[in-house]
Order: sequence, then C-alpha cells, then structure tokens
Amino acid sequence: MKTPYFSITTMRSLLINTIIYGLPIPVIIISLLIGSSDNIGLAAFWDWIRSLVDSSHPSPVLVENVIFNIRLPRALMTFLVGAALATAGGVLQAIFRNPLVDPYILGISSGAAFGASLAILVPLLSIHISAFVFGAAAVSLTYVFGYTKNSSSITIILAGMIVSGLFSASLALVQYLSDPFKLQAIIQWTMGSLHLSSWHKVQQSWIPISLGLLGLYFIRWKLNLLSLGDDEARAVGVNPTYIKIIAVLLATIVTAVAVASAGIISLYGLFVPHITRMLVGASNTKTTPANIFFGGTFLLIIDNFCRTVFPYEIPIGIFTMIIGAPFFIFLIKKRKINWS
Amino acid sequence: MSLAAIKIENLSYSIPGKTILDNVSLSLAANQFSVILGRNGSGKSTLFNLITGKYPYSSGVVELLGKERSSIPQKSLAKTIGFLPQFHQSVFPFSVYDVILTGRAAFYRFGPSGRDHEIVEQTLLNMGISHLKDKSYTDLSGGERQLVLISRVMAQGPDILVLDEPTNHLDLHFQVLVLDKLKLYSRSGHTVICIMHDPNMASIYADHTYFIKDQKAYDSSLLIAEDPFANIYEALYEMPLMQVQVKDKTIIIPQF
Repeated sequence: MKTPYFSITTMRSLLINTIIYGLPIPVIIISLLIGSSDNIGLAAFWDWIRSLVDSSHPSPVLVENVIFNIRLPRALMTFLVGAALATAGGVLQAIFRNPLVDPYILGISSGAAFGASLAILVPLLSIHISAFVFGAAAVSLTYVFGYTKNSSSITIILAGMIVSGLFSASLALVQYLSDPFKLQAIIQWTMGSLHLSSWHKVQQSWIPISLGLLGLYFIRWKLNLLSLGDDEARAVGVNPTYIKIIAVLLATIVTAVAVASAGIISLYGLFVPHITRMLVGASNTKTTPANIFFGGTFLLIIDNFCRTVFPYEIPIGIFTMIIGAPFFIFLIKKRKINWS
Repeated sequence: MSLAAIKIENLSYSIPGKTILDNVSLSLAANQFSVILGRNGSGKSTLFNLITGKYPYSSGVVELLGKERSSIPQKSLAKTIGFLPQFHQSVFPFSVYDVILTGRAAFYRFGPSGRDHEIVEQTLLNMGISHLKDKSYTDLSGGERQLVLISRVMAQGPDILVLDEPTNHLDLHFQVLVLDKLKLYSRSGHTVICIMHDPNMASIYADHTYFIKDQKAYDSSLLIAEDPFANIYEALYEMPLMQVQVKDKTIIIPQF
C-alpha cells in the first residue's frame, strides 16, 4: 500500500534528479549565449546551429569564433573543474570522516599550485604531472601531521593549514626566483582564471579528470564503508588501507588537473558536497554522481555570474571563497560531535 | 567441551614497561555464548584486539576454527570472524539500511548484488528493526544504534562474532534485547563471544564465563571445580560481595 507521503517523496526525488541530471545541458547552452559580446545571443546562436546542421546555410564567422572558440571551451573547462573539485571534496570528506575538509583545506590545491609553478620555472616535468606529484605530497603530509591515534576533525584541518602555508610560501619563493617573463606566467596562472580556457587546455585535462571521476564513481559503494571508520571496515572483513589510498590518489589526480588548468578555486569542494547531501541524502553511492553533475553545473552558474554581473570579470576563486567562508563557519558552529 | 571456535595458546602481549597478557591459554567453545569478564584495565580489550587482528602478536598462537589467524586469507576472514568495536560515532547521516549494507562489503567487488540486499532485509526482520530502515542512523537512540551495528556484523554472517562491551551505555530494556538477539545468533550455528562488565547478565545469558585477572585468563567452571565454596567473583573484582541464588543462577551484589 502506498501512502500519500510515499508519493510526495517520490516526486521530490524525481524533481531533485531532474535538477541534478537535467540541468547541465541547458546551463551549458545558456553559458554559450551570455558574455561580454552582447550582440551574440539566442538568434546568433540559432544561426550558428543551423550552419552546423545545414551546410548550405552561411556560417557566421564572428559568432562561430566567439561561441565555439571562446565560450564553449570555457564552459566545458568550468564544468570539468567544478565536477572535479566537488567530487574530490565529497570523497575526501568520506575518507577523512570529516565534513570540514576539501582539496583546498587539506593542502592539495596549494601543493598542486606549487608543483605547477615549479614546472613553469624549471620545466623538468609537465605542469599537470608536477601539480599531481606535489598535490599528492601535500595530502600525504597533512595525513602524517594530522593523523594521531585520537585525532579529531580539527587536528586534520590544522595540519592542512600548516601544509597549505608551507606550499604557499614555497610558491612565493618560486615567484621570487623567477625571471619577469616566467613570473608573469605564474602569477596569471595562480590567480585562478577560467578566462584563459582554451581548446588546448580542455584537451589536456578532460581525459585525466574523466578517468579520475569514473574511478571514484566505481568505488562509490566502498566509500560508505570507509566513512564509518577503519575499525568498522576491519570488523566486517575489509582492509581499508588500499581502497583509501586509491580513493585519495584519484581525488588528488582530479584536483591537481583542475588546479593546473584553472588555478586555485577555494572552498568549492567543501560546500558543494553538503548541498548534494541535502538533496540526495548522505549515501556516497548517490552523492558521488550528484557531485559530478551538480558540481559541474553549479560552478558554471557561478562563472556565468562572474562574467556578467559586473562590467569587468571577477576571478571565480573570489566568489567561491565568499560563498564558502560563511559556510565553513556555519559548519564549525553546528558541529558538536567528534570535536575534542 | 565441544570443538573450539577460538583457541589461544601461550599468548603474551606487552607494551613498553608493562605486561598486559602473560602466557594466556584459552579455548572458547564453538556455537556457544561465551562471556569474558574482568576489571577495568585487566587486558580484556587487548585480548579482543589480538583476537580480531587489530594488534599483531609476536609470541603465542591464536587459532580461529582450527586455523592460525594470520594464515587465513583476507577473503575468507570476513566469513570466519566479525566483530563489534567499542565506540562508534558516525559523522554522516547515513540511513540505517545503508549502514547495514556496508556489512556485506567484503563480498562484493563494486556494488552489492540482489542477494546482498535480500540478506540485509532478512537481517532487519530478524533483529526486529525493519521500521528503522529509512531512518537516519545519527538520529537513533544509543540502544537502537547498537542494534543497527550488531545487525551490520550479522549481515556479514560470520561464524564467530566477537563483541567488546555490547551492552555498554544501554538501558535495561536494550541490554536484554541485545543479549537476546546475540543468544539467538549463537543458537543458529554461530559462536558469540562478549566482553562484558555485568557479572549478572553474564550468568543469565552465558554458556561459559571466562575471567581475566593479573595478566592471565581463567575458565570460571574450572575455578569452581577447584574450590566449590569459594566466591570466585570476590577474587575477580577484589571486593566483598554477596551471593543470591535465583532459579539456577548465582546473582552477586555488593555488600550493603
């Protein structure tokens, strides 16, 4: 027998699923229609679509240039970065059993930023690889510093701050040592800018990010087990170590690539997993795909605001910090357990 | 005594400056409900951690169903032994169903099968907590949580179930409920071993009672056989106690 309550929850979940999985395409299309070139709107877009489908229709060169070469790669890049940071955040919160962490707080972002700038200064490794290596080094250091037998959620955060500070200082040192030409490249890059998105950057990053996200999607069932704690995993015959290492590695890969492509976008990986948890419930089997899709869409929406609300563009990292900081404070105030 | 589920021989464990267990030998019967009693800090939890494999041991033997513990491959370990650690706090508001489903994690590679879901439903039914299924685990009372965590280990279906103070912090109602369910599990071809603090609950429920005192382990029935008139609990808890006979059980209370 189905009670009315049941049908309301069904409708609610239908609506939520529509928002999470149905929104990406329309939002990407809207992103193609808005921007500083005001005259390229819906009509021009329609013209361009027709020229793609019907070869006899004249191709509008300027429109094609703006939409295809500027706005589309940026929209795709933003979506990938948002999906990467949100999913990595959700996974790290599960692994560290701590709703207050994300790639930025654990130091992965600073580590990756240092790695990438080091690769610009001394081109031994490619920017992406170097970002990954130092991102992984940062999260390992945070774990070693912050993980003691009775560590609380706060010790991990403090350790992350120290590690983050360490790599930020090293980044400043790299900048200090760089010649003016490279310095400009490093600074422009660390400011975290999506306006430098290009097809080249999309090509470089979509494969590692997609593979990383796919990997995290495959282990989503194990994430619930891991977030109950190590003893609870061993209690039911699972050694948590390997799966934890795999999960943190994948989260670090997607974060490092996101940072290497768009700079540091602070706290985004912290608050999006909380939003998706409110929408679909706590189970990682549902939040992982939701973080991928909603994470991508939501960053795209924020970026569209950054591009259009003010006459000049605001770096997106500033916006996410403005949303994320009060959210972080709110979580700290609300959180009563697992504290001392 | 029937076949041993857990056989411990000459097991010692020490931390720098302190011997916690000294040459312990103990045999815990299969398909029975056994209780281990001992004072705070007597080494009960250390013994628990040695049995469950959290602590490695350098000297002595721990055999589970006739096989050396460390030689059992990870895969069949889940089928052999499951345990319930002492404290647990969940940070995320998982549903009860999701928590119990993690008990099947050792048996699937990526996601749970239909059979895993069936077992979870059956466990909910057996434990009488089907009504909690969709509730958030973090919203439950302490007693309900304990039932959920026990269900989780039972969904794993281990031959041996070891629990560290499962009735701690529970009211009398839930203590009895939990012990009833554990007794039932032991009657369906499984071994249940509980570390407990309440000697009366132990004597009501346990088939066998073991003591840990002065780094050694003792079988209480052997102690009684040695000296039928001694009050073995006075020696265990190091205080004067009164004994009352209720039905066929000995109940002990502090002197007043």
